[in-house]
Amino acid sequence: MAGYQVPRKFPTTVVGSYPKMPPAEEALKKRRQGIVGEEEFHRLARDAIRMVVEDYLWAGVDIISDGEQTREDMVVYFAERLEGYSIGDWVRVFDNVYFRKPVVTGKVEWRQPMIIDDWEYARSISQGRPVKVILTGPYTMLEWSFDLHYGDRRELIFDLARAIRREIEEAIARGAEYIQVDEPALSTRPFREEAELLKEALEIVFKGVQAKRIVHICFGRLERILPYILDYPVDQFDLEMKNSNFRLLPYLKEYGYDKELGFGVVDVHSFQVETVDEIREAIDRLMKADIIGPEKVYVDPDCGLKRLPREIAREKLRNMVEAARIAREEW
Amino acid sequence: MKVRAQSLGGYPRPRSVRRLLRQSERGEVDPEYRVRLLASASSAVIGAQIAAGFDVVVDGMLDWHDIFRPFASAWRNVTPTALLRYFDNNFFYRIPLFTAEPEPVEPVLAPRVRLYAPLAEPAGLKVVVPGPVTFTLMSEVIGGLRRDELAEAIARLLADEVRAAVEAGASFVQVDEPILGDPEVGRDEASLAADLASRIAGAAGEAETMLAVYFYPPKREVYEEVLKAKVDYVMIDAVDGGGKGATLVAEAGGGRKGVALGVIDARSIYMDRYEGVKSLVEAALEGLREKESLILTTSTWLDLIPYSYSIKKTRLLGLYAERIAGDLGLEYTGGWR
Repeated sequence: MAGYQVPRKFPTTVVGSYPKMPPAEEALKKRRQGIVGEEEFHRLARDAIRMVVEDYLWAGVDIISDGEQTREDMVVYFAERLEGYSIGDWVRVFDNVYFRKPVVTGKVEWRQPMIIDDWEYARSISQGRPVKVILTGPYTMLEWSFDLHYGDRRELIFDLARAIRREIEEAIARGAEYIQVDEPALSTRPFREEAELLKEALEIVFKGVQAKRIVHICFGRLERILPYILDYPVDQFDLEMKNSNFRLLPYLKEYGYDKELGFGVVDVHSFQVETVDEIREAIDRLMKADIIGPEKVYVDPDCGLKRLPREIAREKLRNMVEAARIAREEW
Repeated sequence: MKVRAQSLGGYPRPRSVRRLLRQSERGEVDPEYRVRLLASASSAVIGAQIAAGFDVVVDGMLDWHDIFRPFASAWRNVTPTALLRYFDNNFFYRIPLFTAEPEPVEPVLAPRVRLYAPLAEPAGLKVVVPGPVTFTLMSEVIGGLRRDELAEAIARLLADEVRAAVEAGASFVQVDEPILGDPEVGRDEASLAADLASRIAGAAGEAETMLAVYFYPPKREVYEEVLKAKVDYVMIDAVDGGGKGATLVAEAGGGRKGVALGVIDARSIYMDRYEGVKSLVEAALEGLREKESLILTTSTWLDLIPYSYSIKKTRLLGLYAERIAGDLGLEYTGGWR
């Protein structure tokens, strides 16, 4: 991207979501109430996206996102915009917080661009820094929806994969360089057959895509299925590491991991801000494990930052960026 | 062989309770109104179960944020902390952080039983507690307390809870150990779980008892340890894992009085087909003796689907249990004491 040079070693990035800014909350409320249509909704959310991008720039993050400000939920957002989905009833996520778990009631198909508007806006104000295109992956869409139409998981996941691919094609046509597909549901069902099912779906999603292809997976027992995912058609695995105390590192070493690694060094479940030293030590730990070189390591949080207060998210990112800067000098 | 049906555990919150809890968090709710509204919502859940022919019902645990929370909030030396995914669900529980051996501050179950047992008439009321091994393995422990010591301490407190609940009128006690379905859990953890569940069940007096394993069927070696628990019933999820749970029962048998088989998919809103449910029961029956009893239940708690579907699935479970009894020549004992 003209105007900004992503560091060759330890570039910093984000997984995607960021605390919801007040203009986004307001826009979501108006859309829920039917006061605004899709176009106006995204326009109203631009103030929120701008605030997120400003935070990223303040922290110094190299590869950023739009903060997923318009996404009430990572599955619901896409379900509301794909053919074949109905909006479901409320299901609890935690405490007294709920989401409307979507229901597949017809053939799933891409209808129109879903995330392009927010992404392009973020890009227009990113001061040249690349902005990731981030989509919820087919496996997670499958697992976190109810199905009343297909009755066959393979058929459904492949249609979801085709719809997601169509959105990626839109983004590529507009110059996207980084495409990230989020698959948090995979590690919750760490079985070989599930890993292989996602591999087939990702082959549809990413085949021939000329951009950095990333899959983000977080939490759960990923080590159980590591051997079955390493040949996924992606350039980079973006993985949560800090929360699980870097438990995966020996497994990456054992299996000869050689793709790029999005290395989660910030715990998004903790309000405690990691110190620069703490993050630098995490990077040292990875480097001393001698798995991949520094040019293949992307330093980022474990997952999206949406559940953190904004101030904590900002501080965490700033310390992360500073730690990566020091690591560049050391490695 | 006798057959009956019951819900496994908690129900989702209807809109009135969601709103109540939101207002409650903001300090806008009078405590008496809160109790009254929860009792009224729970009555609806209890009524749905009674109408489905269940002779034992749950109160729905509508105010429990997760299975550990009521206990983690009512005991000293443990605090609910950060969120973590609850097994393979898009649902998160708050990790209990133990800083020392827990001590009771206030009772959890007995006050509920005193409130809800009269509402459950003519059915009996079931209470559910988290199994000590699941509780321990899904918690964080600091301050030098060993996990096996913690599990023992939790079991002691839960046994006291159960004793008081039965004295207050509970007629069925269920100990949930979903972590035993985790493929990484082995014989040692299962043995400890069975031992501690036996101790809790030992405090249940005349009440019936059950040890429940769900979200995935346990490994054979784990199930064999589970069967050693001194409980009346062992519950196995027959839905997840493509019917492996039913096969496990066929091969290794059931508990002292029999088996509870999770045959209605509690994580899907798809209305389970009768033939599929019946075939799971038929498969499991091969491992049960004539004098044993069979409880048909949901594959897990119903609180992971919307409220309206939880009521529909409750009705479906009752209908299928009676029909299966008729079709397979079993004695249906649905109805009430």
